[in-house]
Amino acid sequence: MKLLTHNLLSSHVRGVGPRGFPLRLQATEVRVIPVEFNPDFVARMIPKVEWAALLEAADHLRLVEVPKEPIQGYEQDETFLRKMHHVLLEVEVVEGTLQCPESGRVFPITRGIPNMLLNEEETET
Amino acid sequence: MNLGSTANMSDIQEATNQLLHVNLHENQRDTHVTESVPRSESEHLRVTIGATVPTGFEQAAADEVREKLKSSCKISKDRGKIYFDISVESLAQVHRLRSVDNLFVVVQELKDYQFKETKEKVLKDFEELAGKLPWSDPLKVWKINTSFKKKKTKRKKLNQNLNKEKIDNERDKREERDVKKELSNNSLDSHILDYYEKPAIKEEISTLVGDVLASCKNETEESLKEDTDPEVLKFRVTCNRAGEKHCFSSNEAARDFGGAVQDHFKWKADMTNFDVEVLLNIHDNEVIVGIALTEESLHRRNITHFGPTTLRSTLAYGMLRLCSPQPSDIIVDPMCGTGAIPIEGATEWSNCFHIAGDNNPLAVNRTANNISSLLTKSQIKEGKLSWGLPIDAIQWDICNLPLRTGSVDIIVTDMPFGKRMGSKKRNWNLYPACLWEMGRICKPGTGRAALLTQDKKCFTKALSGMEHVWRKVHTVWVNIGGLHAAVYLLNRTPLAFVHPSGQDKEELLSAKND
Repeated sequence: MKLLTHNLLSSHVRGVGPRGFPLRLQATEVRVIPVEFNPDFVARMIPKVEWAALLEAADHLRLVEVPKEPIQGYEQDETFLRKMHHVLLEVEVVEGTLQCPESGRVFPITRGIPNMLLNEEETET
Repeated sequence: MNLGSTANMSDIQEATNQLLHVNLHENQRDTHVTESVPRSESEHLRVTIGATVPTGFEQAAADEVREKLKSSCKISKDRGKIYFDISVESLAQVHRLRSVDNLFVVVQELKDYQFKETKEKVLKDFEELAGKLPWSDPLKVWKINTSFKKKKTKRKKLNQNLNKEKIDNERDKREERDVKKELSNNSLDSHILDYYEKPAIKEEISTLVGDVLASCKNETEESLKEDTDPEVLKFRVTCNRAGEKHCFSSNEAARDFGGAVQDHFKWKADMTNFDVEVLLNIHDNEVIVGIALTEESLHRRNITHFGPTTLRSTLAYGMLRLCSPQPSDIIVDPMCGTGAIPIEGATEWSNCFHIAGDNNPLAVNRTANNISSLLTKSQIKEGKLSWGLPIDAIQWDICNLPLRTGSVDIIVTDMPFGKRMGSKKRNWNLYPACLWEMGRICKPGTGRAALLTQDKKCFTKALSGMEHVWRKVHTVWVNIGGLHAAVYLLNRTPLAFVHPSGQDKEELLSAKND
């Protein structure tokens, strides 16, 4: 699971609503897998990213060199874009957990795949 | 019946790459695409290429041809076919088209063909036709095309592929048994579990192995024969006939035309193990003779691990294209099955981010396996160091998506048909719930969805209660293995989603079902 995906995931436990974001990330196995750098993609992604959530997740994975916020003129700054590219797309959580900040419910990540299924009592309908 | 629309695709490069598979230590010399064609053969050689595409997506295919080959297309009245001119040097690029199932080179197009009144006369005309056609340039193209194939396919790799397929099948079977045990305690839909046990489905997977075995055998015979009979080609004629006023059958036409072709070229007729496949396409008063450039060897381009309802990659491509993906769009398939759609997306629109999700653990694992196979393929193909792709897989429930409200740009999915997976009764409850959740996660104003379903009645009803969220802009009628289905293109309205309390949502959903 990449950090870009984590940035989109939110807990859907009954009654939690928007307070289910962001999920608290813990990892026991992390891998770095290179991905082709596409500066246009990264530049357009920056405004869509929820920064606080990204920084929190990166922090839990003990990543270094993570920009704290978009810098002025980031669209042309290759160093900045490459750092963001790395954080968003190249860090893979292989084994770990995602925890709902509101309900405490834990979702496992196995072989890179988060299992977000809830049982009957936990769902809305 | 037009066989073109149900024909399964193959692509020279992909057929080859599938055979190359997971061996990182393989000699990369063979994987280079040989784009250069000997000048003497190709100089000024322009031909008309015919392509079969999923019916309904002819325009999408024409757009791709214009974009990638800079050629304009003629869309045939014979559904599911487009025609365009190229110079022979572009042949490799033609094989890389994503919207195309099968390719052929046109020998001659006969518009307004005058069929005589009796069967005998018509068939005699076909016999005489064979000797009068301009075969030589198309045959040159066929030859060049075949030499591409020969350079890449090696028997050694066929064997390796065979072993891997066997191992994968074993692993899949074990996984299935394990999951089955675990799930029989929960109330998972028994339809889904039983389906994987059905002989027809198991056969689908073992047929793959059988095909590889067969081509393995052929290679051996081939290499033996090569020394003795280099010039005597084996051929067959395939006739597709559509129209009400014909007094003959496609078999009769194929037989008599084939007989004349055999006399003309002194080739040997062989229905299964042929070098040249001559196509005789008859649609009302239009007759087109062609020579096939692709084979129906493997059914799915990107999918090495099959599931019961795996979608054709060309159809997945067409659906994605309908949504006009823009750079950095987030594209989600919330019922991904084996991942055909997101994988096609990650390959062709690598400047977007793709998420594949399904509730079935077998499906999610298959998707992850297919992604891994793809990663390795792309690594070998491009000789690149990069090995990740902008795609992730998640196990989730379509009715309760763990995604932020308004965070997704595009949703593309193959909704349960009720015939092969799920049931029609379930769809009455499922479809409104799906549309609701998809409406929630989709970005207001700019978001859009392309949804494929055969249960058009149920879908239309579910949609009618959601006009404040989804607006239907286009419908494409498609043919999925004989079933008449539709792809609905929807735009997300600008209305922002307000998170209701649990009670409101239940009331709203049950009101729609009345």
